[in-house]
Amino acid sequence: MGLIDKIPGSGSTRTEGGMFGPGSPTFLTSKVDALINWGRLNSLWPMPFGTACCAIEMMASAASNYDLARFGMERMSFSPRQADVLICAGRVPYKLAPVLRRIWDQMPQPKWAISMGACASSGGVFDVYSMVQGIDTIIPVDVYIPGCPPRPEGLIYGLMMIQEQIRQESLSKHFEHRAEDPLLVAKPRASEAEVVGLTGPFGNSTQQDQISTGEFVAPAATEDPLS
Amino acid sequence: MADEQKSGLDAVDEGPLGSDTTEAPEQTSTGDPSEHPSVAALLERFASEVQRHQLTAGDQWVVWINPERSHEILSWLKDDLDQAYDMMSDVTGVDYGGGRPVEVVYQMFSTAHSRALRLRCPLPLDAMEIDSVVDLWKSADWLEREVFDLFGVTFKGHPDLRRILMPDDYAEGHPLRKDFPLRGRFSRAEQTRRALAQDVERFYLAENLEAGDPQEVEATEVGTVADSGAGTLPAPAEAGEDD
Amino acid sequence: MATKTVEFNVGQGREMGLGGAGAASPIAPFDIPEPEVGTEQMLINIGPQHPATHGVLRLVCELDGETVTSVTPHIGYLHSSFEKLGEYRTWNQIVPLTDRMDYLAPLIYNCAYVMSVEKLMGIEVTERCKVVRVILMELDRIFGHLLWLGTTAIDVGAFTPFLYSFQQREKIYSLHEALTGARITTSATRVGGMMADLPEGWLEQLLEFLDNFPKTLAEVHHLLTGNQIHIGRTQGVGTISAAEAINYGFTGPNLRAAGVPYDVRKDRPYYDYETYDFDVPVGEHGDCYDRYLCRMEEMEQSVSIIRQAMARLPDGPINVDDPNVSLPSKTDAMSDMESMIHHFKLITDGIPAPEGDCYMAIEASKGELGMYVVAEEGGTKPVRWRVRPPSFVNLSVIPKLAEGHLLSDLIMINASLDIVLGEIDR
Repeated sequence: MGLIDKIPGSGSTRTEGGMFGPGSPTFLTSKVDALINWGRLNSLWPMPFGTACCAIEMMASAASNYDLARFGMERMSFSPRQADVLICAGRVPYKLAPVLRRIWDQMPQPKWAISMGACASSGGVFDVYSMVQGIDTIIPVDVYIPGCPPRPEGLIYGLMMIQEQIRQESLSKHFEHRAEDPLLVAKPRASEAEVVGLTGPFGNSTQQDQISTGEFVAPAATEDPLS
Repeated sequence: MADEQKSGLDAVDEGPLGSDTTEAPEQTSTGDPSEHPSVAALLERFASEVQRHQLTAGDQWVVWINPERSHEILSWLKDDLDQAYDMMSDVTGVDYGGGRPVEVVYQMFSTAHSRALRLRCPLPLDAMEIDSVVDLWKSADWLEREVFDLFGVTFKGHPDLRRILMPDDYAEGHPLRKDFPLRGRFSRAEQTRRALAQDVERFYLAENLEAGDPQEVEATEVGTVADSGAGTLPAPAEAGEDD
Repeated sequence: MATKTVEFNVGQGREMGLGGAGAASPIAPFDIPEPEVGTEQMLINIGPQHPATHGVLRLVCELDGETVTSVTPHIGYLHSSFEKLGEYRTWNQIVPLTDRMDYLAPLIYNCAYVMSVEKLMGIEVTERCKVVRVILMELDRIFGHLLWLGTTAIDVGAFTPFLYSFQQREKIYSLHEALTGARITTSATRVGGMMADLPEGWLEQLLEFLDNFPKTLAEVHHLLTGNQIHIGRTQGVGTISAAEAINYGFTGPNLRAAGVPYDVRKDRPYYDYETYDFDVPVGEHGDCYDRYLCRMEEMEQSVSIIRQAMARLPDGPINVDDPNVSLPSKTDAMSDMESMIHHFKLITDGIPAPEGDCYMAIEASKGELGMYVVAEEGGTKPVRWRVRPPSFVNLSVIPKLAEGHLLSDLIMINASLDIVLGEIDR
């Protein structure tokens, strides 16, 4: 937001049916898109949010054998203010959840997120009281990398998928690409019903009910998470 | 369990074993205490405080002692030159569930005599208090905080008894107790909401850093559904009721 | 007890990379009087997301100017409740949890856990299994120390050792992969043996690594050990005395750097460690530099232990010959009725344990790692599975070590303790 709003045909201030209306890429915008996307995708600065085992594989990707610098990711940006892509590598407990959300909120647009490994994507084997069951309940995720931990090739493939995604983007569809409700800052991304749906036990997960006593009343599924 | 889902892997999934057992096994002493000088010395000096002793896993000695005089016994074990347990390797807890006492376990090692000893202090569920040993071994500091956090055992005289692994305002109880369900007491939606309502800067404040008595941090009221009573902690389950 | 005091005579004929010019005077003393400036107390928060905290550690520091007056570590940002989860798993199902705890030296944790369970159940593993586990544990000691070396060097501003150490780690990664199929999360052990025997050609691959690794280590020695910047950042920083180190619960290289020759491999030997010929490096000053030297020397000793173990590696089965403990071979399970029943019972029920508890301490790369398991009669799951985490106790000393030092020294002290947050928070 900000300056990008002023670009004709890019945001909410557009005039209906104008020359740069939505869905009608012109010669100018498509050339500008190509240039901007080329610049963006070859200079992604990752913000390594490394917590556990996956962080070690992320370090291995940055070391000589895999050399992440080949893809323009030479500089790991440890400050979220200068980062483009958040790599959440490892387990995220509830105690760390507000930190992850704040780092995501601090990153400037355009930004992307990678959920690296089973624990970040779904909680993995840790279907327990202290663990977030998938960081997509907290922040929007673009690419999920499976594996426990994923190999460095997996991480590099995930980053290349982000690059591919950037290549498809267009300034005229700015708000479709990265629509984010400012009211959601520091709030769960998913509604309560979605969180319950996303985090239900599955597979050979240890069977145990979440509520130990009968008195506990589950929050109503229709409750607005923002109120 | 309210809505138990049966699957083909019930043998794997039926939960922790210990919580179903209500009867404590028969408690007898095993082993010849003269093999371990410290056990023999304990039996001689604190005969009335030693509840029983056991030789387990081949060569490991365990002594159950009276928790009310634990500090006296431990400080003797550290300072007596024939024992000299200068290394407190571990302080932890064991909950068998089913209303049996929670046991605080001390693993000690003497570098002078190259000898290990394990002490266990059973604490009944209505008196979960024991003397802290931080004044004897500094290594017990965080270990005792962890037992306080995960089992709810209060260590009297600990300089800074706060939760260490869980957030300070964690409202669901003490996770390693057998009556605590694996996924916690609240629903995932409620847990997520509470997690994100935490202020990440809260613990900056200098008054929170002061050492002192056990700190009770007020849980911040963040309920969107507080009116329906959903945001509050359910009454703690009676021991043995939850299996 | 065979111990070896680590000595390195700084500036005596050692090439300094500056033509030996800086060798005579390690660091010129500064005689400039400090200007009178008013300082005020301030709070600095480091972490939980910070590159120098080696994970999600959070340190809240009170500073007077640039001097640290108190540090309060906040941990628990990676609390994954391993111990609670373990109570819901059968004995063998816990093995995959152990290597996600210390992902810097996973095989040591795999071995330590099954050793504790085997001791509780009274299972004696085969000779071949013992030697294989010794090889794997020493290999992962190198593995863990290498990561510490790389990240610590970054903290003092040297990036090259990181690349060197990861080059060698990649060799160990492929050894892990050849043995278990995974690079980090190995899960190689089972109660009563191993997941699989060593694959063909593995020992030759290991031998090649052992031949090349000391050369890299010598290069890193050349880069760091006599380096004036490294010495200036580490010598006399974070000092602790021997008696205090024991009382504060230090173990592993941190304790030995303070001058206490306590090594679980020597003091409470397991797996015939008393028959291996190796030295325990012991420091003198208990500062960051001695910790560095101890770990560098330990890697060389580990290479020597692996070579000795390879020389004595016996043939024979790797799993115990007990159908109630080890799985039958897949061919047997498919063709023989009795083996199939054992297979089924082992997978669905697990291995029954006797009533009792067992605390097994071993020397991990971080210090004394204790695995404490409590079982009930016939229990196929632990009543309590407790890990005595070495870096948890080592980290709790940081408020004492850092007090009075500069803020930049705090980073070095934290790095020199060699912590891994997965195991601290569990």
